[in-house]
Amino acid sequence: MADVKMFREVLPKQGQLSVEDITTMVLCKPKLLPLKSLTLEKLEKMQQAAQDIIRQQKTAEEEKREKAH
Amino acid sequence: MGSEMEPLLLAWSYFRRRKFQLCADLCTQMLEKSPYDQEPAPDLPVSQAAWILKARALTEMVYIDEIDIDQEGIAEMILDENAIAQVPRPGTSLKLPGTNQTGGPSQAIRPITQTGRPVTGFLRPSTQSGRPGTMEQAIRTPRTTYTARPIMSSSGRFIRLGTASMLTSPDGPFINLSRLNLTKYSQKPKLAKALFEYIFHHENDVKTALDLAALSTEHSQYKDWWWKVQIGKCYYRLGMYRDAEKQFKSALKQQEMVDTFLYLAKVYMLLDQPVTALNLFKQGLDKFPGEVTLLCGIARIYEEMNNSSSAAEYYKEVLKQDNTHVEAIACIGSNHFYSDQPEIALRFYRRLLQMGVYNCQLLNNLGLCCFYAQQYDMTLTSFERALSLAENEEEAADVWYNLGHIAVGIGDVNLAHQCFRLALVNNNHHAEAYNNLAVLEMRKGHVEQARALLQTASSLAPHMYEPHFNFATISDKIGDLQRSYVAAQKAEAAFPDHVDTQQLIKQLKQHFAML
Repeated sequence: MADVKMFREVLPKQGQLSVEDITTMVLCKPKLLPLKSLTLEKLEKMQQAAQDIIRQQKTAEEEKREKAH
Repeated sequence: MGSEMEPLLLAWSYFRRRKFQLCADLCTQMLEKSPYDQEPAPDLPVSQAAWILKARALTEMVYIDEIDIDQEGIAEMILDENAIAQVPRPGTSLKLPGTNQTGGPSQAIRPITQTGRPVTGFLRPSTQSGRPGTMEQAIRTPRTTYTARPIMSSSGRFIRLGTASMLTSPDGPFINLSRLNLTKYSQKPKLAKALFEYIFHHENDVKTALDLAALSTEHSQYKDWWWKVQIGKCYYRLGMYRDAEKQFKSALKQQEMVDTFLYLAKVYMLLDQPVTALNLFKQGLDKFPGEVTLLCGIARIYEEMNNSSSAAEYYKEVLKQDNTHVEAIACIGSNHFYSDQPEIALRFYRRLLQMGVYNCQLLNNLGLCCFYAQQYDMTLTSFERALSLAENEEEAADVWYNLGHIAVGIGDVNLAHQCFRLALVNNNHHAEAYNNLAVLEMRKGHVEQARALLQTASSLAPHMYEPHFNFATISDKIGDLQRSYVAAQKAEAAFPDHVDTQQLIKQLKQHFAML
């Protein structure tokens, strides 16, 4: 209990309490991520698959060309 | 066992079990056996059936609900001459979304996309584009909020998908469109419908599809509403919105269908007439009371017009009819989160988890809701799972960015620093992370680094007010009043109601007046 007496109360009992408004920097806010609709997911999947196929064919063609040389 | 079954029946069974590749392969085998060339012989009903079935299977493989697609590319958005009024009255256009803020959380709380709309809780193909104002803005779109990603041209994606569908069949395309005798097919309505869908969805050849539809509707003496809707769809894809409107209206006169209402509303949205679209949906609701897609359409329009309270009302109406509607749950959840009720948002997102939605976005949202609702035990595990489920680097970047906020919240500045750094490693265009990193650097007293980071952030995302405002504050502190004023004005343009910005500008004006 002796510790408690070491601290003095700082709240003023009379007069006005004022706080100076200091402009602080602003953080960008946390961002909830939007869920994707099924259509969008399917579209993205299809596009990914299409790109993979095109890439595969390109590499296959390049290999053929290299063999021909 | 399978080989003993009648092949056509087996193919049908595959089709009904949605094993389309197997179905198509089987049909190909059958068609190879029977003497058949480009078109089915009329005296061979089995090969004709196999032909239709294969067309339908191939269509189903790439089928996307046409109602959900209205992606506008940059070209369409910039060269848009369809809107009736170039300077529309407030509340009647989608182009001035910021004009009627009714009760929604302000920009200081809810992040916005570059078009000035609050970020939505649900992502559809159409929410991705979000009309940017200028060409420059369209190209420099920040890639962080997915809702603002432009595509070069909407037709481009369909063409790519179309070529890919042809690449998959090594013997050339299943049906050679240029050799088709469309008139002959239009005489056979049942065949023509399957063929139309194949041309429209699988080959993405809208012009041929339109030819077929036109011939068929003529053959049916303009009495079949289905063909009218299809012609409307073709016109829509070709960008002839007024013609599409006529077709849909005519189809509605013959037969009122929910789909037709939705297509017609889509046309009005592209013509920038949201109020007409709203009225149309309400008409539709008179005919089909409680129809979920119509209610949801209304809610989406309100959301796009920045009227989030009305939107929430209609989303609630949707949930009364269909309590597993993911879009409605997600949108209401995000509304609650940003109106300072994370506990309630948590319940909505938990409901989604119970329904079996299990992906990076949902777990990230759960983690954020848990943290702000003071359920700390779940927070970090949710984020860990979200990270492990992230499908690409951009998703991971967003999760790291949000984790940075948790670290700021618990006062661990070092962790926060690392999180924002990781967000940037994953996605070099994450403007929000740049801004927050700058704030942390400033706390450490690294003014020059902070300024550089803020400049990057504001050039990446000119629509956000935070980097501009922070830059103005820093410049003001180090005495660079001119730069501070310029940045503060940018911040004011991005967020006119921000009190701190207004004060800063007032202060600066006083300074300049004294000089």
